[in-house]
Amino acid sequence: MKYLTILLVAFFALSFATSQDPDANAIIKKIDANMISNSNITTSKMTIYGRRNDRTITAKSYGEGSKKSFTEYLSPEREKGTKMLKLDDKLWIYSPSSDRTIQISGHMLKQSVMGSDLSYEDMMDERKLTEIYTAVVSGSEVLDGRKTWVIDLIAKVTDATYEKQKIWVDKEKFVPLRQDMMAKSGKILKRVSLSNIEKISGRWYPKRMNYKDMLKQGKGTDFEIVTIEFNPKIPAHIFTKASLKK
Amino acid sequence: MIKFLLKGIIRDKSRSILPIIITAIGVTLTVFLSGYMRGAMGDMIDLNARFETGHIKVMTQPYLKNKDQLPNDLALLEVSELIADLEKDFPEISWEKRIRFGGLVDAPDENGLTQGQGPAAGLAIDLFSKHSNEIGRMNLAPAIVNGTIPIRPGEALISEDFSQKINASVGDDVTFVGSTMNGSMAFQNFKVAGTVRFGSAAMDKGAIIIDITDAQNMLDMEDGAGEILGYFPNDVYDNNDATQIAETFNAKYIDSDDEFAPIMQSLKQQNGLASLLDYADVMSGMFVAIFVFAMSIVLWNTGLLGGLRRYQEYGIRLALGESKGHIYRMMISEAVLIGILGSILGSILGLAAAYALQVYGFDISEFAPQSNMLMPNVIRAKVTPDLFYIGFIPGVFAMVLGTALSGIGIYKRETATLFKELEV
Amino acid sequence: MNQALRLAYRNLVGAGLRTWLNVGVLSFTFVLILFYNGLIDGWNKQAKRDSIAWEIGQGQIIHKDYDPLDPFTILDGHGNINTIKGNVSPVLVQQSTIYPEGRSISTLLKGVSTNQSITQLPTGLLLNTDANIPALIGKNMSNKSGLKEGDEVLIRWRDSEGTFDATNITIVGIFESTVPTIDAGQIYIPIEKLWELTGLENHASYFIVGEGYEHKEIQDWEFNSQSSLLETLDAMIETKKASGTIMYLLLMAIALLAIFDTQVLSIFRRQKEIGTYIALGMTRGEVIRLFTVEGFMYSVLAVILGSIYGIPLLWFLAKNGIPYPVEQVQDFGVPISDTMYPVFSLGLIAGTLLLVVVSATIVSYLPARKISKMNPVDAIKGKLQ
Repeated sequence: MKYLTILLVAFFALSFATSQDPDANAIIKKIDANMISNSNITTSKMTIYGRRNDRTITAKSYGEGSKKSFTEYLSPEREKGTKMLKLDDKLWIYSPSSDRTIQISGHMLKQSVMGSDLSYEDMMDERKLTEIYTAVVSGSEVLDGRKTWVIDLIAKVTDATYEKQKIWVDKEKFVPLRQDMMAKSGKILKRVSLSNIEKISGRWYPKRMNYKDMLKQGKGTDFEIVTIEFNPKIPAHIFTKASLKK
Repeated sequence: MIKFLLKGIIRDKSRSILPIIITAIGVTLTVFLSGYMRGAMGDMIDLNARFETGHIKVMTQPYLKNKDQLPNDLALLEVSELIADLEKDFPEISWEKRIRFGGLVDAPDENGLTQGQGPAAGLAIDLFSKHSNEIGRMNLAPAIVNGTIPIRPGEALISEDFSQKINASVGDDVTFVGSTMNGSMAFQNFKVAGTVRFGSAAMDKGAIIIDITDAQNMLDMEDGAGEILGYFPNDVYDNNDATQIAETFNAKYIDSDDEFAPIMQSLKQQNGLASLLDYADVMSGMFVAIFVFAMSIVLWNTGLLGGLRRYQEYGIRLALGESKGHIYRMMISEAVLIGILGSILGSILGLAAAYALQVYGFDISEFAPQSNMLMPNVIRAKVTPDLFYIGFIPGVFAMVLGTALSGIGIYKRETATLFKELEV
Repeated sequence: MNQALRLAYRNLVGAGLRTWLNVGVLSFTFVLILFYNGLIDGWNKQAKRDSIAWEIGQGQIIHKDYDPLDPFTILDGHGNINTIKGNVSPVLVQQSTIYPEGRSISTLLKGVSTNQSITQLPTGLLLNTDANIPALIGKNMSNKSGLKEGDEVLIRWRDSEGTFDATNITIVGIFESTVPTIDAGQIYIPIEKLWELTGLENHASYFIVGEGYEHKEIQDWEFNSQSSLLETLDAMIETKKASGTIMYLLLMAIALLAIFDTQVLSIFRRQKEIGTYIALGMTRGEVIRLFTVEGFMYSVLAVILGSIYGIPLLWFLAKNGIPYPVEQVQDFGVPISDTMYPVFSLGLIAGTLLLVVVSATIVSYLPARKISKMNPVDAIKGKLQ
């Protein structure tokens, strides 16, 4: 579940891309301006609502472009020091307790991550929305008291994880407030709700997201940005396997 | 009178030794065979008990509802306390913690990078406690293909086929990657202590067995366990006791508003075993009836033979003026005594043999083409209360019946022809 | 020898009840051994028959990248079916998840030919329905998922490109099979539907082979013969036999004890007779043979008696079967039917016959050896005690 970090970062990357649709295109460009950066360093807090107890995990992530990311878990004690490195379509996980670097590869990438509904591949699909989807503004709605554009995304490539998406974009701040991911049949599979939109370094940014598997019961997972730094310079050694063991 | 007869039986070897021996052997066989059948008919149930259900099993209620999905997030917690209670309330039962889990097993190359990897079903049992009998129960020793059973923490058994697939042999380190009870990622290195054959294709494809304490640490289940299994002494199931214990236990939690309150189920309540259990009872009962019947015929015959053996003696006694009725009654009394003596002896021997077979079991794995965990390759008897009296049916009744029938011949004998018959 | 047989027969029949009791027990043992082994053989046969009828057919042609026991191979383990011709039925396997009542259960989605007749799977039920995606499940699966005939359930899968999709399927039938491996965690839909859902047009993971198919090497596909697929079943059932052996050896011991006892007594009681035989010129060996033949006659009579009640009884059981309760014995992977039909092969009958006759003869011979030590003069006087 905690790999949601990467997943959510991925969805952002998707959301901020541009579209060929003139209207939608303009909207998405504005979202980009808010959300996309060439690189970022994020400290995040993720709360997983279990049936018995809720857990909070903090992590620090480095991202550069859509191909490179590196995450180190800071707390709780059990997770501390666990690191994940993603380069292109490869994923390595390092755990300090076993002092092993494990590559998740090949067919494993299509398997679900530890019985969750996310496959490793889901976590790694960071292509831009414009690469995958055709966007159309289908209307406007009021969501949580905010006026939004409703944008339908339909896959133009065959290997999209989700055939369709629907996103609700704040008309003033140009930040998505809700993102529904759907199957070919139109069934909603997953929903991300974004809130706590704050101005950071001159951009509107949602500091809180809730991620929910719509086919299952439960409260889903909360993801909260504690600090975020846009376009910092990240040393190249971070994105190497050597940095996993450090 | 009885004293007189006893003396006779003991002193006069020819009229006592052989019948008593025959009776005793017959009763021994009957008792032992009945015990054996009681055990053997239940081998399928026994297999279930050992691997899955226990004789009684404690889980949380939500775990029970989702048990096919190995829901360790719904596992029992604070099990030390729970087990202490269980041990206090039901001291004769051995309680074992188990955790079932699933994940990836990854074998590194010399640089520590992934060399082989595969999904594995995991099972954690108590491998190290002195009081625990889990190794025997899981039939681990005969199922070992290479290496040994783990002897220290951090060691694991993996299935033989799996070890070849991921290229990890005995002595190598492998890393388990899975999720903890809370859904975090779990990593743990294990040294492969040995490889085993399960005998189920799915398990042989990928499985790992580790110690329960290792599993608790690895899966962040401090003092937790998916299941607590209870086993009766000598691993012999008694449904009445199990039902009783489960009722007593569950009554304590009936008003609990804890969603994760424990619930106990008897073996019979699990895995649809009820009908199979009843069936095994009926079948073993049937077989026991057959043995008793067959043995009765044999000992009836022995009784008949006993009468014949002493044909001459009775002739002389008749000739000396003893009444026919007196001889007949004495014959019967003797038969009763011989029957009782033989039956007691036979029951003791039979029970001892059945009990030995119950405790030690008879390992047929040498005769099986290939040893593995899921084969009932240790045959056990089961000493049930009826074994204590069942031997007396053929031993006393059949014996006496035979004697009574052959004794009728006495009344047919004519004093006049006695001396001629006896050729004295 | 002829004379010995006749004498032995007369002696035995003359002894009346005693003989018949011995013969009765021995015949009983004989029938029981037959019954038990027949039951296991019958189980074996039925398990194989059912496996063949439901799962294996005359063999399977499996895509080289597909391993039915390794879920990781599902993704790539399929190929175009056009290369394979003949009486075969394709099956395409895909992973999926169903969501009955908010729970999620991982399932194997299997596409099968609706008009196949190679296996007993009632695929015809998938034809006569209005359901958009009709599905068949087994009884075990129905119990575990709570799905009943007519129920709709949400299923989620990924197409060949990895795109998620989800829709409702309708359970149009629940089949009952003794073969657990085709039931647990599996859902059957028409293969054309699965092609449509996944984009794997004309692909299959494996084929079930029917009568008359002759395999020639085909690239990317491997043929598994029926017998190789049945191997594990054989091994499992063999061990069952071992535990039965102990039972009937003990029962046999009871019967033999009776004969032994009778022999000891008759040799004791018939000293005069023995002495007379020797006095009349029979060698000791001949007398021993006479007594041994008597023991042998027990087994012959036992076989005859056993046949009188055993043949109708066993025939009845073989015809009507013996009920056996199976609900979830299923989990152990061996097909068990709710009625077991014992099977009595000629080899089994002959083997058991031999066992009974030989052991009865040996047991009669042992006490008879005493005769060779007898002094005929003492014997004829009846002075040996």
